[in-house]
Formats: sequence, structure tokens, C-alpha cells
Amino acid sequence: MNKYFSGLSIPLTKMTVLILFTVTMLASSMAFAAVHNITLTAETLPNGQLAYKLSGEARAAIPGPTLFVKQGDSVNVTLTNNTAVPVSFKVPGVGEQNPAMTAPGATATYAVDATTVGSYVYHGNSNGKELLGLFGALIVDKTDGSVERYVNDNGALTAVAQADIDKQLVLFMVGSTFWATEIVDGIQKPLWANPILGAAEDEIVRFHVLSVGPAHTFHLHAHRWLKPGTDSVIDTKLLVDGADAHSFTIKAGAGVGKGDWQFHCHLISHMEAGMHGSFKVGGAGTSSTVGASPYGRILLGTDDVPGLVTFEISDEGASWFRSARGDAIVGLPYDIKTKSLEVMAPGSSVNFVMSDTNGVHTISTLLWPTGAHHMPFDQTSAYRGGGIIKLDTPGLYVFTCKVHPYMFGAVIVDDPNTVGLDLGNPEKEYKIDLVTGISGLPTSSDLAVRLLRTFFVATSPDNWQDYSSQIWNVKFPTLPVRISGAPFSEELTQGGVSAPLSILNVNDAPLALLGKPAVPGVGEVWINTQFEKTDGKTKPGTITVVDAKNWTVKRKIALPEINMNNPHNMWVNRDQSVVYQTQWFDTKLTMLKRNNGQLIKNIHVGDTPSHVMTLPSNDDITIAINGENGVALIPAGKFEISKILPTQAAGHTSANPHGHWVSADGKSIVTPNINTGDIGIYGVDGKIHSRTSTGNNAPGAHPIAIGMMPDSSKVYAANLLHHTLSVLNGDTGALIKTINLIADYHPITGAFADNDGNGEIAVGVLPIQSPVSPDGKAVVIASTGGQIVIIDTATDTIVKMLPCDPGCHGANFGAKKGGGYYAYVSNKFSNRMIVVDIDPNGDGNIADAGIAGDVALVAGNNTAIDDTVNSLPGFGGQGVLAIPVVYNGWVQNLPSKWKKGLTDAQKNPIGH
Amino acid sequence: MLFQSNRPYCGMEFSENSSATQYTPHATLLRQLLISSLMALAMFFLCVGKSLAAEHIIQMTAEEVHEDGFGSKLMAYKMLSHTVNGTNITHRYSNHATIPGPTLFLTEGDTVNLTIYNDIPGANAGVLKGISSQVSVHVHGVHYKIVSDGTLKVINQEDDQGAGVGPAQTHANYSYTWDVAPGTAGTWAYHDHNYETHNGAEHKGLFGAIIVNPVGAANYAKEFVLYLTDDAFWGMEIDSHGMKQKKHGINPDFIARKDSEVRFHLIALGTDIHKFKLSGYQWADPGTNNMINEVAIGPLEKHVFTVKATKNAQYSDENFTNKLMGMVGKLKVSH
Repeated sequence: MNKYFSGLSIPLTKMTVLILFTVTMLASSMAFAAVHNITLTAETLPNGQLAYKLSGEARAAIPGPTLFVKQGDSVNVTLTNNTAVPVSFKVPGVGEQNPAMTAPGATATYAVDATTVGSYVYHGNSNGKELLGLFGALIVDKTDGSVERYVNDNGALTAVAQADIDKQLVLFMVGSTFWATEIVDGIQKPLWANPILGAAEDEIVRFHVLSVGPAHTFHLHAHRWLKPGTDSVIDTKLLVDGADAHSFTIKAGAGVGKGDWQFHCHLISHMEAGMHGSFKVGGAGTSSTVGASPYGRILLGTDDVPGLVTFEISDEGASWFRSARGDAIVGLPYDIKTKSLEVMAPGSSVNFVMSDTNGVHTISTLLWPTGAHHMPFDQTSAYRGGGIIKLDTPGLYVFTCKVHPYMFGAVIVDDPNTVGLDLGNPEKEYKIDLVTGISGLPTSSDLAVRLLRTFFVATSPDNWQDYSSQIWNVKFPTLPVRISGAPFSEELTQGGVSAPLSILNVNDAPLALLGKPAVPGVGEVWINTQFEKTDGKTKPGTITVVDAKNWTVKRKIALPEINMNNPHNMWVNRDQSVVYQTQWFDTKLTMLKRNNGQLIKNIHVGDTPSHVMTLPSNDDITIAINGENGVALIPAGKFEISKILPTQAAGHTSANPHGHWVSADGKSIVTPNINTGDIGIYGVDGKIHSRTSTGNNAPGAHPIAIGMMPDSSKVYAANLLHHTLSVLNGDTGALIKTINLIADYHPITGAFADNDGNGEIAVGVLPIQSPVSPDGKAVVIASTGGQIVIIDTATDTIVKMLPCDPGCHGANFGAKKGGGYYAYVSNKFSNRMIVVDIDPNGDGNIADAGIAGDVALVAGNNTAIDDTVNSLPGFGGQGVLAIPVVYNGWVQNLPSKWKKGLTDAQKNPIGH
Repeated sequence: MLFQSNRPYCGMEFSENSSATQYTPHATLLRQLLISSLMALAMFFLCVGKSLAAEHIIQMTAEEVHEDGFGSKLMAYKMLSHTVNGTNITHRYSNHATIPGPTLFLTEGDTVNLTIYNDIPGANAGVLKGISSQVSVHVHGVHYKIVSDGTLKVINQEDDQGAGVGPAQTHANYSYTWDVAPGTAGTWAYHDHNYETHNGAEHKGLFGAIIVNPVGAANYAKEFVLYLTDDAFWGMEIDSHGMKQKKHGINPDFIARKDSEVRFHLIALGTDIHKFKLSGYQWADPGTNNMINEVAIGPLEKHVFTVKATKNAQYSDENFTNKLMGMVGKLKVSH
């Protein structure tokens, strides 16, 4: 029997497996058609990835077994699910397109008829979990024994029979990683992630290139092949979104000879994310080299080969970079509360796959051990896919997404020869470098410890401030770590001695609300409680509506009918009847009714829309497309984008605008361009008026949100990673001033002092939203490090620092009853809103600015709901919108019923 | 139809304005075809013992271009010189660095020796933190040995194959040899692979196309080269009369004489997947007889098709964001 006819190619050492295959020759009309009975299990690998295992094989592999059949054959699969998630066996384009799911622990059968010659993907159809490794190839060959022709060195299209093939290479393109299997003489050998493929010159090599998930193009240097089904000679092939497959045959080195020929995905973002390998064409006996293995040198790994840890990129609060084995890690006896931490040995690789997100992201290093190679790791623009990188230098690496800069994943590459886990490079006194240009930062410094705390709080909901519990605990792992110089504890003073991270724990700290503000606000405050989870949705996020009259939670809007995903920022139309809501980890802008929270329309607007505002001049809607390169416009009253205004000239790097603002006359749109580190001022006609770099040319200053003076004379931009506030001329875009928000902080010692001599000790670490009060007196900056900083616009100096919670994020102004303004401030990692009164005595001097009170964002008995909150109640506070909108330009357009509650000064904030 | 005549055979120089290269109206097509055939036949016999294959000697450089007014720069290739069997055809190219870079017309059997220079500021500065200052030319489709891969040593294990300071080696210039072998006919990209990282700066403007014709291939009144990038088409137009390369830049409006045969050369580059349309036209899917009116194309795929220019049309990318950002251009048909 032909080795390919038996269905599967099995290692010779596992020949006994063959008996599991009952290849039944059918008689009569279906001459030579075979029935292949295949027994598979779905397994969890040591690194948490999932994979199919052929019955009788010792191990599961990625990709799963390659199934070779002939046209006319049928395939019966018996699948036993040994994983914790429902899995299936789906072959897109062939047979059942919605096959039944097999529950954990259960067994089911699947049948596929191989009616059409071609290459097919089979996968687990597991709601994204299949991207963790539940995929393989089904190759349906011709009955005459011929396969794809190759292009010979003289250009001849040369016929190939099965028997001519020296080697087959199965390459799956998933996320931004290649997963390979090599098949020689019927033996299937897993090559794992990004291997070196090898072949002897002139060997006949048949490639099967397949994909699951987002699209790719496959390119192999210096080789040509035939586009399937055509005589067209190509060297690059698109594999479309979903699942796609592509088989071709080459003669290794034909016309070009020996060499290390690169193969890679040709999408720039995927190239930058590490999606490449080498095809080594050499002399006789040239063989492949196995890539990074899920069984290799990682925490609790079993094999002494280069290992692989994998993070799933997720829309789920705190688990944005979720280790594929995050649940198991949390269950280890080390008090690890985060699912976003991995540990592996030098020379192993870290892999990322965007398997649980509807948004686009980058995989970007925030910090790394001093002197580590190939740092920073980054992509020019955000996209769908993933990333893979081999890490050789011991120490801590923290990854983030530039678009969503609180998404964190950390990998400790640990030198097994040092005591404790290495947080910095042992060769460089355990120091680290930051993406913002700081290099050689001791891991014992206050800044390094703060960054570490930020990571363990952001990624561990158990460490968040839940005001319902009235106490706060922060738990760090009990694992000992090795840092620069003295460890955290004064008692352990021998330099370099490792101490457990849990030395940083906060135990049972009291946590109490301050109480409601004494003076009511006007109208409602809408807050995006972006991490709150409800029963009717797989995606997180609600809108929490607070009644400013009595400071109670009036309504929770989850919109289960559209699975509203990470609602981030809002605005409202002129008559305050329709609220516009962005879904920041998705592609949609949602319109809903203000009065009852009901859905009006869910509109596709582009990748990862962040902020939305109207033009006060005509009520058109502007949406910053944070994952891409423009600002979308929806004409007032319409449900479709009319155009996207580019934020950069053609061909130039995507600006990726985040929290834009619109001038009071509606003529210009000002964007903080997170990817290019500048502030752009654009005409609503699409003209680029100015682009001004911020952050004193430091790399990655990350301008993130804009505030504008009510007369548009000045623009304020918060630079998240530069800890500064840029002040720009609102007309020309010229930089007026850069206000350092951490001048009063010593990054090494952590000492606070009035270093900038403004009479106040005030810092704003990681500043985010920074609106200007409607009367133009104050800028309020919500800083994610847990501070609110107030700037006097008359002098552009800091006048005050107020305490905020971890993850302090959103801020916007609303009218205070009887005159004046409240700034409403939200927090990601707590569940309350803080109300700041910028001028309690109303004398026009903001020196008395202070906190007026706070409001818990948890639903009460009288809260109207459209879904039931089941976890993270009130958490994830980000976008804030006070209704009525009382900013200059907008307030004048309010319908009379909304103006009624306002004072004359509030109705005309700068003409008064 | 005319035989490929954009280069001299046997060192015999054709004037760029000779009748053999002029646009040929339909009425005289047959006569012209006969004459051309006879000429080619005559040449073949004249050149007995000599190959028809041409030797191209090309020198190009890379420069910074397109200051957008706000300090952000792109890069582009510039043709310094191109000789074919000793005949200088440099005048066909722009005097400036252009995006896309020069389109190189080759014929199966030709050989190319291409030398790249580097006029980007900092090309000869030291390498900081392993960041490459090199630019290279990595070509698709044709044959070349590993020394002509146009990649960094970290990839090819041999050399930093570009001009400028590389992480492992420094070269003032670097020469590549391409064997435009039989079986390589088609339109292919060339692009940088070495600037800053081993991925190069193809997405910052350092890209161009080669058009490899089979021996004796048809000629087209106009050749339209269109690169589909993440926010615009970058293209150029080449008139078979004179072969001058024109209209470089974003979303160019192409002009074709009514009922002339024109050829589109699409190559995608960047990160986006595109869907190309030419309104009101259909064409044969390359390598098949299937008529199509749109095509999905991903980065570094190529798609070449011909149409008879019968009516005005709009070409566009139907990708959601790109379309809304105005990624469209025109085919204008004149009488």
C-alpha cells in the first residue's frame, strides 16, 4: 500500500498505531475509495496551549497530525476532549460547517467526505481557543498519484508523483508565528514554533502552508511555485482571514543554489512581530532544526530544549495578556494573583496570539534587562496577529500594547545559576532599561518597584480597590527575586540577596468612601465601567449612569444584544437624546437612547475606535480610530461614515490618534497621536494644519488625551509615558511649554520634594485625561499612578495634587448646581467616581480646589439594568461624560429644557 | 502587436523614436507586425552565435524624500544609470528619487548587475545598538545566489548585503547579480530589506518593480504600475512610446488612448489586505481563462492584467478604511 494512501504517516517506532486505522477498501462503484477511521484526543500542553494527539502517539503536537487522503475517501474522526474547553473538529469548506462541540471529558465522532482535491485546515472551532494549537492539515490528493508541479531551474513546469517527493513541510501561520511539521518517509516530526527548515539542494519538497485566524501572505526567498489551479508562477501567496490552505512543490535551490533562504509572512506588522524562519538549502543530509517547544525550558517544563510560553491577547479586564496556563499559574502555591506572568529559561521564546480580542494591538516592550538584545520589541502599527521573540538575556521583560497601554504581560527570563528570579540582567547589576529612554535603572529603585506594583495591581483583580469590601489587600508572589543592590527590606541588607516579592504586600488596609458631594451636580454623569462583567455577554463593559441630583447609580447599560465590548468613551448629540459610545477593543460605534439606555444602532467604524466628540458647529460625529490612521466622520443624523480624515500624509507612519478634542468653533480637530508622539491639528476638511512633537523628543512619550481652552487658544496634551503635560498654541500648534508632572519625585529614592519650586509637592505619574474646565480656569489631570493634578491655565503651573485611586484614568467636567464646575474622575482599578470641585468658594481662584466627595459605581436596588452584573462590579472606570455637555461651543446649542438648570455664567462660559 | 523592443539586440541601437517602438494604430497593425517580424528574423540571423539575452548594468541609490512639512520623512530609490548591452537608457527614468522606485523592464534570459548606493543621511555613521544604516535591494521572482539576497547577515549567514554601515559589515555600495532565467516572467517587487532592522524600510518608500517579459512577448501601449499600500496607491505610468517613466506618486490618474491595450501591474505592500477594483472592466485572472472584476491582494503578491481601454473608469481599494480615506484613482480614456 502506498504510504500516503494509508491516511496517516506514522513514526516507524509507533507502527502499532497503524492497527488503529481501519482502512476499508470499498467495492463496486467507489473503486479504491477508502474510509479512514482516525482517533484523536484534544490535550493541554505543559505551557497551556492546546493540541490534537493521534491515538497511540506519546504526545500531542502543533500542528496536529497531517491527514493524507485521496479524493473520494471518507474520514471518520473519533475525538475525545481532554481539555477544559469545548472543542470540535471542523474542516472549513468541507462537510459540516457547524459541527457539534465535544464537551470536556466527552467523546464524539465527526465525518468528512474528501470529495475535492486540495489542502484543507481542520480546527477545534473553539471560540478562538483553536488558535492555541487545535489545528492541523487535511490533504486530499489526486487518485492518480500526482501532486503539484514544480518550476524547474530552466522554467519547465515539471510533473511530480508522490514517489518523487523527498520531504513535506507543513507550515501553519497563526497569530504571528509559524508552527511546523516535517514529514520524511511517512514520519511526522513536530518542528514546533519558528523552526529552521532544512533540505538538500535539488530535493523535491512539498510545502503545505495553512492558516487559521487573521490573514497572512507567505513568502519564501528565491523560490518560485505555481499558484494553485493556475499556471501562474508566484513567490508570495495570500492566505485569507478565517482558514486557508495552500500546497505547492519546489525543487530546493532550483536556479539559486544553496543558502539560508528566509521564509516569512510579508505583512509588515507580522514581520516586525517576528513571523519568520529560515529554509536552509545545503548539501546531502541537510536537516531541519526544531524551534521553540511547549515542552521545553519553561517553568515546570519537561524537556531540555528551547521552550515556549504563550500569552493570549484578550479583551478581558486584567487578563489582557493571559498566559495560556494562567489558571494553573494562579493555582500554584506562590500566591500569584496575576495570569499575566510567565517564567522561562534563557534561549526560550515568548509567543503572543490575539485569540480573544476583536481589537487591534501591538506587542511592545515597556522595559527589559539592560543590555538585552533586539530591544525594544515593537511594531510600526497595530494589527491583528500576535508576536514571537526569543529572549536570551536574563531579567524581567514587560510587554504592553501601545494602543491600550495598561495591557501588561511580564516574562521573567531566569538564569538558573542565580538565587531567586532575576528581575534585571545579572551581567549588568540587575538593571533594566525603559522604552522611554531611561537605561540602567536599578531594580532596587523606587521607580522600578512602582512599575512592578503597577503590573501586579493592573493584572490582578484581587489587588484592586473594591469599596464594597471596605478593606484593601495587595498580594505579591512569595517567589524570591534578585534585584540590584539591597533588596526591598532594610533587614535584608546584604547586597543582591534575594527577597520574596511578597515583602511588598498590603494587608487589610482600610478602604472607605468619603461620602457624596454636598452640593448636587446638574444632570447625569455617564461613566464607562469598562471591565464590569455581566451574564449575557462574553465581552466586558457597561455604562454606569449616575444621577447627579442625588449621586445614586440610576442605570447600568450592558447592551447584551450586541455584546458591547469595552465601552471606552462617549459624547452626546445636540439635544442630548442620543449617546455615542465607542467600543475600544472592537470596531464599533454604538448609538443609544439617553433616556432609557436602549440600543439605536451599532456601526462598524474601523479598528479600535477610542474617543468620540461632535462638532459643535453642525453636530457631525468625529471618531478617533485609535487602531488605524485617521478620524472618522459621521454626518449628523446618519449611521454611516462619510469619510476618514487621515492623521498623516500618505505613506507616513500611522498616527493612531487616541483622545481627541474639537475646537469650540468646530473648525479643527486636535489629536494626540500615540504612535508618532505628536499632537496634530487638522481641519474638518481633512487638511493637516500642524503636527508638533511632544515629550522633548524622548522616545515613546505617548500623548494620549487633549484638553482645549474654551476659546481654543491653547491645547493641553497629557504624555502618558513622559509624565508631562504639553501646552500648545491652539492655532499654530506651536509648543509653548512642557510641564513636568514628576519633577517633585526622585525615581531612585522615591523621595518627594518641591523640586520645581512651585510651592506644592505634586506629582502626576502616568497622566491620562486632561480636560480644561468650561470656564478655562483649570486643567484637571487624572494620572493612572493614583493622583489628580490641577494646573492653573493662567500660569500653566501645577497648583494642587489630590489623591486618586490606582488606575486613575478619565476626567470630564459637568455643571455644579448653582454655578461652577465639577470634574468627574474615574478609576480603572477601583469602583468609585471621585468628584473634584475646582473652585469650591466660587471666587475664581482655584487654589482651593479639592475633592467634594465620591460615589460608588456599584448597582443598587433601584438601579435599572439590562443585564446582571456577575463580576468586577463598578470596575474599569474610563470615559466620563456629564450630560448636559457644558463646554463652550456645545452649551450654547443645548435645548432650552437642558439649559434650565444652568446659571447664566454656565450658559455662556467665556462671554460672561 | 509588436515584439518587445525596449532594448537593443546584438548591440544594435534602436532610436527611442524609431517606428518600431511607436504606438501603432489598428489599421496598420498587420503591416507593422509583419515588418517587425521580419526585422526580428533578420536580426536573429545577423546575430547567429550571439545570445539574444541582454546584460543590464544598473546603478541606483536611496535618498530621503517627501518631507511632509512636519519632519516625517520617507525614503526612495533613484536611478543613477542603466545600460543595456552598453546602451544607456537612463533617460527613461526620473532624475529624482521616486516612489515607487524605477520600474526595470527585463526579458527572460537577461542578466542584471545592479549596484546600490546609499545617500540617506547617516548611512556611514556608526551602528548604534545594532541598528542598521544599510539599504539594500531584495528582488522577488528572478534567480540569484545567496550573496545577492539583499538581506542582513543575521538572515543569510553570509554578509550584510547592502550599502552603508550594517551590524556585521560595511559596504560603500553593494552589487547584486540577477539571472532573469526562463520561468521568471512576470512582474515582481524589489525592496529594501536592511534599513534599521532585518525587515528593512520597504514600507517607508523603498520599493519598486521589475517587469520580466518572455522573449517575443506582446507590447502594450501603456504600462501602469500600481503599488497598493496601507493608505494610498503609489504608481507610475510608462508609455511604450519612448518608455519614459512618469506620473510617480499617490493615486495617479492614468491616461490611455481609446481601444489601446494597457497593462496594469499591481503589487501590494504594507500590512493591509486589499480588494482592487477597476470599475466597469473585467480581465483574465493570471494563469487562467477566468474573467474577474476584482481581486483580493495581500502584501507582496502581484497581479498583472491587461484590458482594452474602452471607457473612463475608477480604480479603487475596497478595503473599508482605505476606501473611506480616498484610496482611488482614475483611468482616463482619450480619443
